[in-house]
Parts: sequence; C-alpha cells; structure tokens
Amino acid sequence: MKLTNVKDYMVYVELADGAPVNASLEILTRVSRLAPKSGEQVTAVIIGQNVSEGAQTAIAAGADKVICVEKEISQLEEYVQILTAIGKKYQPRVFFFPATQMGKDLVPVLSYKFDTASITDVTDIVEKAEGFDYVCSSYNGNILNEISYEAGFPQIVSVKSSSFKKELDSSRTGEIISEDIPVDRSLIKTELKETVKEIAEAVNLEEAQVVVAGGRGMGSKENFELVKELADVCKGVVGATRPAIESEWISRAHQVGQSGKTVAPKLYIACGISGATQHISGMSGSGYIVAINKDEDAPIFDIADVGIVGDAVKVIPLLIEAIKKEKAQ
Amino acid sequence: MEILVCIKQVPDDSVEIFLNENTQKPDLEKVTPVVNAFDTYALEMAVRLKEAAGGEVTVLSVGDDSVKNSLKNCMAVGADHAYLCKLDDYNETDTFTIAQSLKESKEEIEKQTGKTFDIIFCGKESTDFASAQVGPVLAEMMDIPVITGIVDIEEKDGGVETRQETEEGYHVISCQGLCLVTVNKPKYDPRYPTIKSKMAARKKAIDELDTAKAGVTVLHTEKVYTPAKRSAGVKIQAESAEEAVAQAMDLMKKAKVF
Repeated sequence: MKLTNVKDYMVYVELADGAPVNASLEILTRVSRLAPKSGEQVTAVIIGQNVSEGAQTAIAAGADKVICVEKEISQLEEYVQILTAIGKKYQPRVFFFPATQMGKDLVPVLSYKFDTASITDVTDIVEKAEGFDYVCSSYNGNILNEISYEAGFPQIVSVKSSSFKKELDSSRTGEIISEDIPVDRSLIKTELKETVKEIAEAVNLEEAQVVVAGGRGMGSKENFELVKELADVCKGVVGATRPAIESEWISRAHQVGQSGKTVAPKLYIACGISGATQHISGMSGSGYIVAINKDEDAPIFDIADVGIVGDAVKVIPLLIEAIKKEKAQ
Repeated sequence: MEILVCIKQVPDDSVEIFLNENTQKPDLEKVTPVVNAFDTYALEMAVRLKEAAGGEVTVLSVGDDSVKNSLKNCMAVGADHAYLCKLDDYNETDTFTIAQSLKESKEEIEKQTGKTFDIIFCGKESTDFASAQVGPVLAEMMDIPVITGIVDIEEKDGGVETRQETEEGYHVISCQGLCLVTVNKPKYDPRYPTIKSKMAARKKAIDELDTAKAGVTVLHTEKVYTPAKRSAGVKIQAESAEEAVAQAMDLMKKAKVF
C-alpha cells in the first residue's frame, strides 16, 4: 500500500502517564522549523485517554494540527491498526516516531504495511534540495550513516530522544481533529494479561539539567550510594552504565548509553566510568563533563572537560563537601 | 514444541569498531565474527523452552560460508539442526531482503522436514546496526503476531506466555498459535559449550538453502563518517584527593557549572 499523494509531516506523540514523551515533542519542535520552507504542515497524532492536555502541549511544541484518537489501548497490534488507518487517510510525506520501545516496534511493521522502508534511532535530519536525509549510527555510535530515500512514501523514521531541543510556546495555536477509529479485536492474536510496575520511582534523565552517573569503578552497591549522594547535592538525576545495572546496584531506568537513555544535561559527572563507546554515545552531547576515574588512560578523559585521576570512592565525599560549601555561599 | 531461532553473525561487539577512512567501510579486519549477543540470548531461551516442553530447536541464518562456524557454535549449545540460507554481502543487506529470505527458508525447511514450527525466536536487535527491524518485519510478512523484547517464556495451555520488559517493569503477554518473539537480555547468561558438545556439533551437518530472495529497498546510504569527537579538557593528577578536588572545583567554578 504505497502512498502517492503525500503531504505534510506527521509525528506520533506517545503518551507516558498521560503526558507526551519528550522525544515526540523534540521532533515536533525540530520539524516545525523545517516545514514552512517546504510548504508543509506538521500534524501530531495522539492516541489515549483524556488527550486534550497532551494535544495542547503538542501544539506548543510545534504542531499545526493534532489528530486525537480517544481510546484506551495497550497492545502493539491495536496501535498498528489505528496508525495504519490514519496514515492511509492523511497520507503523510514523513511519519516520525519517538525511538521508544513502542516507536521502535511500530516503525518496521508500518514500513512493511506501507511498502516503504524505515530508519531506526535517527539522531539528525539533514535538509536537502528535496526532502531530507536521516542520520543514524552503527557499531555503538562509532560510525554515522546518512541515509536517503530513493523513492516511496511515507518515509517512516524513529528519532532518538535528546537529538533535538524541544521548545514549548504556549501562545501557539493549532487545530484539533477528533478521529474515531475502530479496532478490529478479532485480528488481535496476543493477549496482554498483566502489566507489572517494578520501578516505582520516576526517573527523568532526559530532562535533567545535571546527571551524576556511576559505573563499574564504584565497586559495590554500598559505594554506589555515593553517586546518589552527589546527585542529591547537585540536584541532579542518577545515571548508570550497563555494568552497574547488571550488578544490580541500581534499576535499569537509570541506564545511560546505547542500550539506555541518551542525555544532554548542562553538567554530567561520570564516576568510576571508563568510557566505553556504548556509554559515551549516550552522553557526549552534555554541556560540561566531569570525570573521576582511577585509570589515567580511561577513554572518558578524552571527552571530559575536567578529569580527576583518582579513586571515585575517595574523591566523591570530598567533592560533595566542596560543592555543599560552594552552594552555601 | 518445534522452535526456529534466527541468528545473525556479527563482528565481535566487545571490540571497538571504527571507520576505515580509506575504504569508507567499518574496519573489521582482525575482528572475530560471533553470533549476535541478543541471538545467543534467544537461543538459550529457546533451548530452555525445549528442555521444558520437548521438541527440537532449529537455527537458521542468512549469510556466506563463514557463518557456518557460528551455526556450529549454536549446535554446541543446544540447537539440534542448523540451516544456512546462502547470501554474500549479508551484512550490508537491507531488512526486507533478510526477512524475506528467512521467510522463504522457514517454508523450505518445513517442506523438506515435514515439520511445522510452533514459534520463531529472534534477538531483539543486532549489535552492529541495531535497527531492531528484522523480527517485526518477518512477523508482519508471515502475518503472525510479534512480541518484542521478552526476557522470559514458558509453555502454557498449548501456547506460550511471555514476559516483555518495559521501561517500568514488564508485561505478561500470551499467545496461542504461531508467533514470533524477539529476545532481550534475560536474567541468566547463555550456557557455555563443553568439549563433548563442541565435538558433537562439529560432526553435525549444516544444510544449505538457496532461498535468498531480494526485497526491494528504497534506502540509499549517502555518506558514512565518524562522529565529531569532543576535545579533552584538563586532566588533574594531583598528589592527594583533596588537592585534586580543589583544582577541579576551581575549574568548575570558572566554567560556572553550579
């Protein structure tokens, strides 16, 4: 089912606990800058319950139109049915998704339905004379690939969070369109029996101004507490590397890197982190990087603004005291 | 349960791979090919399911002759049969071609052996390109449901019940009838081969299939390049931790990070 009469850019706005995820808002802001030049508009799509507040946020972030589907659904197959119907009706030139778990599941399935192709984890959009190229990485972020579509619409891409800056302008206005799209339950072959919440805390790494992260070099769960203390003092959010999470020092909601979150805070303090590419690719966009590591040859020092060669377990308590003193002044 | 596990051979992901500026390709010389990490988790989960529910595990890959070694390794850790769908340049091949070739191969294996698969396992993504597309596209091509990123599975009421990892916890998703699952890192590690299992695997045949079928791709790589690197700042190597922290604080204050 190729689309031939395409126009406008469509952005799927995923909701988490009723609010739009950052990655979707970041895409809206970025695409709203690109759209006017090409005479296109930006349409957001929201599916869920009580979506009106989310729709307003989407408009503030850059949507000209918001298609609202008021429906409580939870399964991939239901989302696929609704988004396929919307794609068919509105014929977008590009269909953007946040590269969340859901977004990454939707993109390949929809690309097959629309007989086109999809690109996962896009980190940049390059403007061309006609349309866009998309940048994504391979080999843990060591190599970047700029990819174009030779033919076929809609172009379907998922965009990694923190790739762009979101800007909310509450004075913006936009049109709200309500769509009622039926879901054919008889086509759904899986059953969602239970949703279990294991991680109670809300970890908003992507929006944090300060991230204090710990890695294998912290040595133990007890020592990892120091990372949390330092984060408290800096009013930051705790991050962690994959080894720290696999050692169960902290929940996986805190993971920064290729297989976790991509962050770009103003200040990033890396404690006992050697700096494997898998981690660096998730935090190298940070404003100011401080690294503490025993190994003076650790690759993290190649990208740090300030590197302290030393045992993080000894350095952090001193740093906490110094920052407390600084803040008290 | 008849289980099919699709695997991809990738360059060892514990080695940092960079672009060779002369060839404009990833520098893969001296990098050992291995079974994609997420596919090893998929295979381990499939073998555990077989051990609990009975049946056999068949592994399938699309690739050149070198992939036979990876398939042998799979047979040393629990796979009963292995098939290679012959395709050169498999690493540069698009999602649809790989998925289409897997689909044709699955049908060919069923035709040759007379068995029908009850479930298909794939890794959640590959460690080289990490597009996480082949599993969902293969399921869509076969018109069967896909459950992504699972960390556990068991046979239940003639179907399967899976645990899908989510940001905040997990979903319990069940399916009756043929389905495809993609596997995330479970709580356990894949088993190691023994000398005995390695010897046995070496003797087993790998059946070749000529079922590769090109899909139409509309994507074109315009440019491959190395990301701009941040430059290093100041590295403090002081006599004492106190001194190092004092120096670091001075620099941070100057940069107005607080």
